[in-house]
Amino acid sequence: MKNNHMKELTKGFFEQNPVFVVALGLCPVLGVSTQVSNAIGMTAGVFFVLLFSNIIISMLRNVIPGSIHIPAYIVVIASLVTVTEMVMHAFVPAVYNSLGVYLPLIVVNCIILGRAEAFASKNTTFDSALDAIGMSIGFGLAITLIALIRELFGSGTITLFPVGGFSGVITIPWFYENPVRVLALAPGALLVMGYLKAFFDWKSSLKKGK
Amino acid sequence: MKKNLKYAFILLSICAVCAFALGLTNSITAPVIAQTERENEMMALKAVSNGWSVGEQAETQGVPFVIYTVPLTENNEKRGYIVGLKGAGYGGELTLVASYTLEGEMLFAKMLTNSETPGLGKKSEQEGYMDMFKGTGSVKAVPTTKDMLDSSDAAAVSGSSVTFMAIGKAIAGGSDYVKSLGGSK
Repeated sequence: MKNNHMKELTKGFFEQNPVFVVALGLCPVLGVSTQVSNAIGMTAGVFFVLLFSNIIISMLRNVIPGSIHIPAYIVVIASLVTVTEMVMHAFVPAVYNSLGVYLPLIVVNCIILGRAEAFASKNTTFDSALDAIGMSIGFGLAITLIALIRELFGSGTITLFPVGGFSGVITIPWFYENPVRVLALAPGALLVMGYLKAFFDWKSSLKKGK
Repeated sequence: MKKNLKYAFILLSICAVCAFALGLTNSITAPVIAQTERENEMMALKAVSNGWSVGEQAETQGVPFVIYTVPLTENNEKRGYIVGLKGAGYGGELTLVASYTLEGEMLFAKMLTNSETPGLGKKSEQEGYMDMFKGTGSVKAVPTTKDMLDSSDAAAVSGSSVTFMAIGKAIAGGSDYVKSLGGSK
């Protein structure tokens, strides 16, 4: 039983990683992975929305009839996204501004509706919460890895959040002087995503012994 | 009929709970957002003031692109205006402030709010973006299309032409309005 719970939590990390394996939620991954701080901000937004939407939908799974489940899920998810947007706008305006239009677009992020439909509507609240945490961590690992590669090689910097005297930007000397500009631009997102997906597919085929 | 009423009631209940949660969140966050925006606006006014004294804000009605004007003075002598501007960007309305001489020449500009695309239109928030509009509006026309820019500036706005044109038109509108105030006469 304990192993089952553990499996629900960890399956999203690599085995069913929402970005590299299931290929869901690619729009924000490609759009905001220009800086590591954006990736962390987007992960926080997806984590909050996915966790609470999975919990609420799982709790209501016996109340919402099948024929109205999609509008009901959309209302819940859209409300959670709006709450996230208002809280970020008020308390972390820098992250809110950098995420721009991708923050409200979490409403139509396939990971959220996909997990609600495929998992939360059929499983217990506890398992749904574990699934949400695992999937969010998997999403966070993927988008942060892509952002780290794009920002390091494309700009020679790693942008985190300013704390006290720390400006939030770490400059990496050699990379800063010799940036591969295309990685910081839109095509760079597709290139990095493609190579990483190929790498994960190769690793997974090795594991399966193909 | 009974089934449909049941479905309607379930959806209504979910919507009611969501509306309450949104209202509660809004009541907590709205004052904080308003305060932050006021502070940002004050900082932006100071940043574009060219070192002159910032006067009282006067709202304008029915003037395209212009939201308000703020006179700039030095030793009680009027030197120019800061104009609050709005435009239609790619992601919706954007607002900015720009300072002008009495002849309508733009001195400095700063983006306030926008919903432009990160990596493209969002570049308009970066330091140096507004430099392409500096010194225009009086003798030199404000660039509102890419062919009015030199090659490096045109490359910089590549992929975000809608944002660039929205800003250009707003700055041009502000310049025209400052000229219409006739401060230089």
